[in-house]
Amino acid sequence: MATVSFRGATRYYAGNDKPAVDGLDLEVADGEFLVLVGPSGCGKSTTLRMLAGLEGVDDGQIWIGDKNVTDMEPRARDIAMVFQNYALYPHMTVHENIAFHLKIAKMPKDQRDARVQEAAKLLDLEPYLDRKPAKLSGGQRQRVAMGRAIVRQPQVFCMDEPLSNLDAKLRVQTRTQIASLQRRLGTTTIYVTHDQVEAMTMGDRVAVMRDGLLQQCDTPVGLFAKPRNVFVAGFIGSPAMNLIPARLSDAGVALGGATIPLTPAQKAAVTGTEVIVGIRPEGWDTVAASEGLPVTIEAVEELGSDQYLYGSSEAEVVAAGEDVEHREAPHPIVIRTPGMSDWSRGQQLGVRPRTGAVHLFDKETGNRLPDA
Amino acid sequence: MSTTALSSSSTGSTGQPPPRRKAPRRPKPAPGTQRISPLRVIGLTVVWLFTAFNLLVLYWLIMAAFKTPLEIFREPLSLPATLFERGTPFRNFVYAWESAEFGTAFLNTVILVAVCSVVIVLVSAPAAYALSRLGVRGSGPMTAFIAIGMGVPFQTVIIPLFIAMSEIDLNNNLFGLALIYVALSLPFTVFLLTGFFRSLPDELEEAASIDGASATRTFWSIMLPLARGGLITALILNAIGLWNETLLAIVFLQENANFTLARALFTFYNAASYQSEYGGLLAGVAIIVLPMLVMYILLARRIITGLTLGAGK
Ligand SMILES: Nc1ncnc2c1ncn2[C@@H]1O[C@H](COP(=O)(O)OP(=O)(O)OP(=O)(O)O)[C@@H](O)[C@H]1O
Ligand SMILES: [Mg+2]
Repeated sequence: MATVSFRGATRYYAGNDKPAVDGLDLEVADGEFLVLVGPSGCGKSTTLRMLAGLEGVDDGQIWIGDKNVTDMEPRARDIAMVFQNYALYPHMTVHENIAFHLKIAKMPKDQRDARVQEAAKLLDLEPYLDRKPAKLSGGQRQRVAMGRAIVRQPQVFCMDEPLSNLDAKLRVQTRTQIASLQRRLGTTTIYVTHDQVEAMTMGDRVAVMRDGLLQQCDTPVGLFAKPRNVFVAGFIGSPAMNLIPARLSDAGVALGGATIPLTPAQKAAVTGTEVIVGIRPEGWDTVAASEGLPVTIEAVEELGSDQYLYGSSEAEVVAAGEDVEHREAPHPIVIRTPGMSDWSRGQQLGVRPRTGAVHLFDKETGNRLPDA
Repeated sequence: MSTTALSSSSTGSTGQPPPRRKAPRRPKPAPGTQRISPLRVIGLTVVWLFTAFNLLVLYWLIMAAFKTPLEIFREPLSLPATLFERGTPFRNFVYAWESAEFGTAFLNTVILVAVCSVVIVLVSAPAAYALSRLGVRGSGPMTAFIAIGMGVPFQTVIIPLFIAMSEIDLNNNLFGLALIYVALSLPFTVFLLTGFFRSLPDELEEAASIDGASATRTFWSIMLPLARGGLITALILNAIGLWNETLLAIVFLQENANFTLARALFTFYNAASYQSEYGGLLAGVAIIVLPMLVMYILLARRIITGLTLGAGK
């Protein structure tokens, strides 16, 4: 078990002047479950592959524990990896697949078998030990890939979207299994996914990446409560946060009849004349259409416990007074209401941001304005 | 048949008989794939004509090997009779085996072909692996260079080869011939295996390296087994080619004791046709042809494609 630390790790791919991972600084604590999340192509796999030693590190360093592994071969790093498509050895049985590392490490056969049995039991793989991977279902293959990783008792687990090939139900099931297994083993784990729900449910901390740059690394609650910029705000949370551009006046930001005051520190931090107001679907109070920001409901998503109203606002709250091209109305707005409320399509309602539910971002830079 | 009826009646007496469902003998093809198109008709005709012709030749050869010369010419397609009536059905084979010294030649050939094919694959496989997967600098040009070897007809280098082999005293020597066989077969085999290794997924190699396997270990434990289909293909193609190889054997082997089957048959041909021993001659041909046919039938089924099935998803 060990800590992992990326120190300015940078990776260029041949023929591309823009690095796939750009100066990544990230500290992962011993035993931590860190999830790397971000849209496709943001450099998550590259980060993981650099840690595993499958990609060179062009700049910066990577440390595991107190060892600089930047130029170490993969096999010297004591890392186990679960690949996105599992990469099981097709000509070996499940048992041989799981035992391959131990065999190479020259562990005596009886000890080896005991370890494989133990891992198989943990993962419910015992009936399949003599089968070849071709004769397993997707979920079983996924567990074999996990087995191959845990049997080694490595310093670090790397997992690259191990659940992406599973169906939705199995994915939810397996995701909790992996998380609890990791807690039990206490092995430092770096887990890649592009599914933010997976990230938020599994990770001790979640690192959000975009275009090779680390955007924010925080606990799920921290990410949710204080997204550092517009990208993180829009990426984390489902349905996504409402991000509404608005013009800044002396009093503050006007939104739906209400004015959101800005603190002096916030005012000082704004670089342009506009800010982006971020309000999560659950951050609205519903009022009469004439009072707050008027919204026309276009679709209702009934979840039983909650209800999401997808609507749009025709109101010219958005940068009011500006010329037509810059107006972003109708602006889509998502509102959460209690489940089974009787809203229906075409209805109008007014919404008003709840106090304390407002996130403010600078429009030019996209960064969060200081909270106080 | 009867057991099916029995078991279904016995379950019927105990309660509801489970509905017996039987899959059709041939699953229904996808719509449109069975349509008669001109291409299909031409293709099928050509394939069947070709197959029929080959089967006919094979039939004729095997039957003729059991016939007297008179029968061969009078009734080329009928079943053999005379030799069986005389009670010596294998007379032609015995004649060929003894008078052509096929015994030694057979042994020579089996050893030569087995050793050469194995050596060729043993040398080619690591070479192809290195060229296709290890990211060796200049591997592209090197592969192309090896491929050039396939373009040079070996007939054009026979004379220089003969002189060279005489210089180092490996003329009229089975070891010398083996060297030539291996050398001349390498380009094709390396090229064939390069393609095969290239088609294997990268991730297995990466998984192996993370599992702690060295490059050599990865090659032996992961890549070679996965390329088994390719290795067997290479082995069969080389074995068949070398088994039938005649020209080099004629040039490089002069002594009866060193003869390979093809070489011995060449000598035997002169003797047998002089004595009008056509039955014996064709028995000799059969002795050469049949082992390869058997080997092909046995091994061809082991050319497993899609062995990587199950690696992913
Ligand atoms: N072998 C390669 N050669 C060149 N460019 C590459 C290579 N692999 C990845 N890239 C580029 O590097 C960037 C990051 O790729 P990476 O695979 O790390 O993305 P990712 O975050 O894992 O995305 P996904 O969620 O789709 O797996 C992408 O823009 C990709 O096009
Ligand atoms: Mg990826």
